[in-house]
Order: sequence, then structure tokens, then C-alpha cells
Amino acid sequence: MKCSFCQREFNDEQVKDACQGCPSGGGCHMVKCPYCGYESPREPGLIKKIRSFLKANDREKKS
Amino acid sequence: MNKDTFLKLIGAANASESGIEPKADAPLILLVGNPNVGKSALFNKLTGQYVTVSNYPGTTVEVSHGHCQELDRDIEIVDTPGMYSLLPITDEERVASDILYSPQVRAVVHVVDAKNIDRMLGLTLQLIETGRPVVLALNMIDEARTLGIAIDHATLSGRLGIPVIPTVSITGEGISKLIAQLKTPPPLSMIRTECGSIIEQGIIAIASLMSPASPISPRTRATLLLQSDLREQERLVKEVGEQTASTILDIVASTKAKLNHSPHYYVTLSLRTHTGQILEGCVSLPNRAPARVRNFLNRICTQPLTGYPLVFIVLYFGLYKFVGQFGAGTCVNFLEDSVFRTHFIPWVIRLVDATHLWAPIRDLMVGEYGILTLGVRYAIAIIFPIVGAFFLFFATLEDSGYLPRLALLVDRGFKRIGLNGRAVIPMVLGFGCDTMATLVTRTLETTRERLICTILLALAIPCSAQLGVIIGLLSGQGAALAIWAFVVTGVMLLTGWLAAKLLPGEQPMFYMELPPLRLPTIGNVLIKTYSRMVWYFREILPMFIIASVLIWIGQITGLFQLLIKNLIPVIRALGLPDESAVAFLFGFFRRDYGAAGLYDLQKTGVMTAHQLTVAAITLTLFLPCIAQFLVMQKERGTKVTLWISFGVLVTAFSVGYLSHIVLTWMHF
Repeated sequence: MKCSFCQREFNDEQVKDACQGCPSGGGCHMVKCPYCGYESPREPGLIKKIRSFLKANDREKKS
Repeated sequence: MNKDTFLKLIGAANASESGIEPKADAPLILLVGNPNVGKSALFNKLTGQYVTVSNYPGTTVEVSHGHCQELDRDIEIVDTPGMYSLLPITDEERVASDILYSPQVRAVVHVVDAKNIDRMLGLTLQLIETGRPVVLALNMIDEARTLGIAIDHATLSGRLGIPVIPTVSITGEGISKLIAQLKTPPPLSMIRTECGSIIEQGIIAIASLMSPASPISPRTRATLLLQSDLREQERLVKEVGEQTASTILDIVASTKAKLNHSPHYYVTLSLRTHTGQILEGCVSLPNRAPARVRNFLNRICTQPLTGYPLVFIVLYFGLYKFVGQFGAGTCVNFLEDSVFRTHFIPWVIRLVDATHLWAPIRDLMVGEYGILTLGVRYAIAIIFPIVGAFFLFFATLEDSGYLPRLALLVDRGFKRIGLNGRAVIPMVLGFGCDTMATLVTRTLETTRERLICTILLALAIPCSAQLGVIIGLLSGQGAALAIWAFVVTGVMLLTGWLAAKLLPGEQPMFYMELPPLRLPTIGNVLIKTYSRMVWYFREILPMFIIASVLIWIGQITGLFQLLIKNLIPVIRALGLPDESAVAFLFGFFRRDYGAAGLYDLQKTGVMTAHQLTVAAITLTLFLPCIAQFLVMQKERGTKVTLWISFGVLVTAFSVGYLSHIVLTWMHF
């Protein structure tokens, strides 16, 4: 994913590192950029499903 | 059957499960670079299917390594995790920098996105300084050509003193040249980036005490030590022993003491300047209208003379017109009047009445402060359209790349209140939710900054829903809105200024690499808005329902009436009607809940413009919600939190009272 503030890219593992020791313990549903600390909400399941559906569709079209 | 033959037979996927490691003494060619520059695609082109994927020891970071058929079969090619700089921040970067220390490294291929070479060449310079033979792969050169970017790679190669090869990892363009270059160890470059006399003296002093046998140049290691790289400090103690390490760290401390800003700032600035000098005349950018417009907008956003009027224009159209008038006006009116009051509430009351519930339970569901009639109505009919409009506006700003420019613009002003441009992150996030923003204050460098930012968030930064409701309340009366904005901003600046004067401590520097300005894409903006709204509703709906239940318990036990009775003298002193005490009581649960109560009250027409202004000022400066209070207590400790809460409460009512007196005197 890409940070909305600094535009640097990071993955889920790096998010876990950035959130280490936070009292909310992940209950905040936010994603924290390990580089600048900017937080964005985690992408909801519905959007993830739509994305994977579109990807699968793309693959089918290509094949 | 030897290991290589075995790997070829089982293929990459099985190899990753097999946990087979490469030979300990195999010469390595490292692919290094930022994430998303086509590094892995280049790795796949070089290695084909002869790949092993394994976790780097002690981490969950995956590292791929494999062989290239055209190169000596002993050579391992390693696809290192993405890194932005030699000074690591994330685990991935730490792993990438650890691999660089391996004594078997024969060459480093720095893979860059040719379109953004100016932002990536700094790492090339750092890699050259490590003393490793470096090859620069200008990847995605086809995309750069399409954009009209021309790079004179021969001149660039001459200036850097290393081979520079344009590549397209997807099509394979330039791969054979890269492989040919890697058949023999590439030449070593002697190019160095000077970081100013004080740092250079420090580097020389530190490097003279370090072991020359290290695989990484003492100069690089000294530069990392000056930038407080903890990993490098650990290595240092292991290598030279505690006594010499302590002497070196003393040199680090004395060098830092001679500088006005952190060494990291000077190193970054020197790398940027050197990059600019090297690329001068090597890279020609298209002189097209979009590039000119982007440069022009960039200047407008960051220069104070144009930047501050632009902030005003953005706030006027974004907050006042869109969130205030459209979200809190048109949309709330439609949902409140046409949907909830006309259809939903009468229907739900009829439904509950038909079940003949016990009266107190009926009140809990559909009474004056019931879950459905108050909690759900506030959340959906009032807060939903307001935060929806706010998040849409906010996502557009985010996607355009405006926020980092805002941080740069306000840096100087923020310094007067003990903060710097970095504080824009928690401050801006505070408009979304102050509780989350209080947690984000951790990213600020000093305790002093964190404390000042926490105070300002608790006092003067309204969350999106509260801000939207207040703008909606006052949007019909321009003077009232201007007075509210003036008083709240004034209190914020005055508090920050006083805190900066009273709290001792140093003023850290702020600098960041500006990402490019972009035209927001509708899809991105809608996804961000939707994600934020889902998150917000997860947060507020349970809180609003809990608040309704607590009020119901308070009504049954008589506590609610008692609290209202005690609050009324304060409310009267502010010149407000007794009914507004309920809104202030709601504000103790959540500030946005209180603002929604005020909105409800305004609709009944019991409040004048004067009273609305005073109520809006007092409620904006009011105590943070329960969640923010708990987070403050966790982050800043109980004693500090109680002091902040006491100060906020006193300030809110004192400023409210003073506003009432002044506005009465002004006959407003």
C-alpha cells in the first residue's frame, strides 16, 4: 500500500512494526505508515472483494 | 545430486518450502532499490525459475535468491527488500542494509525508476560510498521515454564513475547488457558526497578509529553513526570493543553539538544537492504544459505569499461551502426532516408502541433520549452526511499531494507554537478523530512537541463531525462563523505560544521529500472516503448507543437531572438557554454528540446568533471525549492528563464567558 501523505510504499508486515506498542492493539482499524506516521483507515472487506473480483476478471480476459 | 541441481528440479515454490539456503561462501550480486521500481521483475528476468525464497533469519522478511544461467553458476543473485535509504527505518530496510554488509557481495545493482531518477539517485550515491562496485539500472526507461524524459546515460555514467544501463524488466530490454556488465566485477567509483566541514571532520575522526577490514567503507559507517543508526552502533561495539566505541560515540556527540540541525538533515540536503549537480544537463524533462502547471502550482502551494491565501480558498470552498452548506445544510436537512422525522421516527415509535413494552424500556428505545430516536438519529441523520462530505473533501486533498505542501508552508508558523511542519500530520488527523491523532503524536520527535500537540488537540482541534456541525450551525450567519473561527484559532495560537514559552526543550527540524502533485482520481477518492466512513461508523455508532443508554440510566436514577441542574448556573453565566445544558452534558461523552445536540436545539429556534456563537466556541474548546481522555492518560500519564483536562475545562468556560461579555458589549 501507499502512504497518502509521503507516498512511500509499505506492506502489512511493516504496518505491524509501525504499530508496535500502541495501546489500541489494532482495534483502531487504521494503517500507519512506517516512514512518516500518517494513518489511513484499513481498506474495508467489500473494497478488497471488489478488487480481487476485478483482478480475476482481468486475468480471465487476458487468458 | 548437488543442491543447485535439486533446486532446478523442484522449482521456486517448492524451494521456498524446502528451507534450503545458498552456499555460505557464494559470491553475491545484490539487486537494491525502492519498492515498486521493477526490481523483482528484473530479478525474475535474470534468474528465470532458478529461485529460492526464504525468510531472512530472525525476521518475517522474505528474500529471494537465485542463479543466472549466463553468469558463473556459483554466483547468487539476491533480490533485497525495498529500501529508500541506507539509514533503515523498517525491518525490510534493515534486512536490505544487513545484506549489504555481507563480505561475499561482488556487485550491487541499484534499480531505479527512470521516471523518478532525481528522487532515487541519492541512494545510488550512498551505495557508491559503501565501497561496493555499483551498477545503475535505469529501469522502466520505456515509460520515461513515453513521458518525454530523456536521460543521457553515457554522461551520467561518466559523472558517477559506474556503469549505467537503461533497462525494461518486463520486455527484457537492456538485460543482456546488464548481464555482460556483471560478468566481471564492475569498476569502483571514488565519487563522494561532501556534507559540510563539521560533518566531514567528524567522519574522518570516526573513520580513523574503525576497522578498515569492514566490508562497508568506514566513511559510510561513520555517516550512519552520525545519523544515530542504532544497528550501526551495535555492530561498532561488537567490532571495536566498548572502550573504542565509547570514544567514537563521544566524537558523534561532539560533532552533533557543533551543528545547528541534526546530521541527518545535512546528509539528506547534501545528497539532494549532489544529485541535482550530477543530473544537471543529463536529464531533460518535457517542457509540456502539465509539467509547467505542476511546477507553478507547487510554488503557489509552498510560498507564504500565495500559500496562505490558497489555504483560505481551500477552507472556504472545501469546508464552508461543501461540508458546511452542502453536507451540514442540504443533506442533513433532507435526512433529518424528510426521512427521519417524517417517516423513520413515527414508524419506529408505532412499532415499539405496538409491542407494549415496559415504559422504561420503551423510553430506552424511542423516548426523548432513546437509542433509536436520539443515538441512531444523531449518527445517521446528522453525523453521516457531515462526515461523508468532510471525508470526501479530505480524500481529495490527500490524493492531490497537497498535505505535505501544507506541512512545509506552516512549518515556520508552527515553530512559534513549539511545533514544526511534522505536527501537521496529527493536527490534520485530529480533524478526522482527535483520539487517533493523540496516538499519532508519538511520531513527533521530542516529548515537548508531543505534549504541546496533545494539549492543542484536546483544546482547539474539533473532529470532523463537530467541525461540520458547527460550520453548518453558523453558516447562515457569516459574522458568527468568523467570530468563532477567530476565537478558536486565537486560543490555539495563544495556548501553543504560551506552552512553547513555558515548556523547556529544543526545537527539532522538519524536512521531507515532497511527493509530486497529482490530479486526484475519482476511484481513489471514493475508496478513501468509503474506508474512512466505515471506520468512523464503527467508532461512533456504539458510542452513541452507549451514550443513550447512560442517559437513560441517568434519567431513571435521577443523576441526569442532577447534573443538568448543576450545569445550569454555568450555562446561564454564558448567556445560554437552560436547554443547552443537555448538549454540554452530551459533549462529555463525545464532542460531536454534543455538537449534534446543539444542532437539534438550534432547529427549535430557541437560540440567537449571539448564543449560538458562544455555545459553539465553548463546545469546540470543551473537554475531549472519553476515548480521547483514556488515550491521553495512556500516552501522557494520569497526572498530565488531569492537568490538561482541568486546563481545557477552565479555558473553555472562561473563553465562552469572555466571548459572551464582549459580544454583549458589541451588541452582537
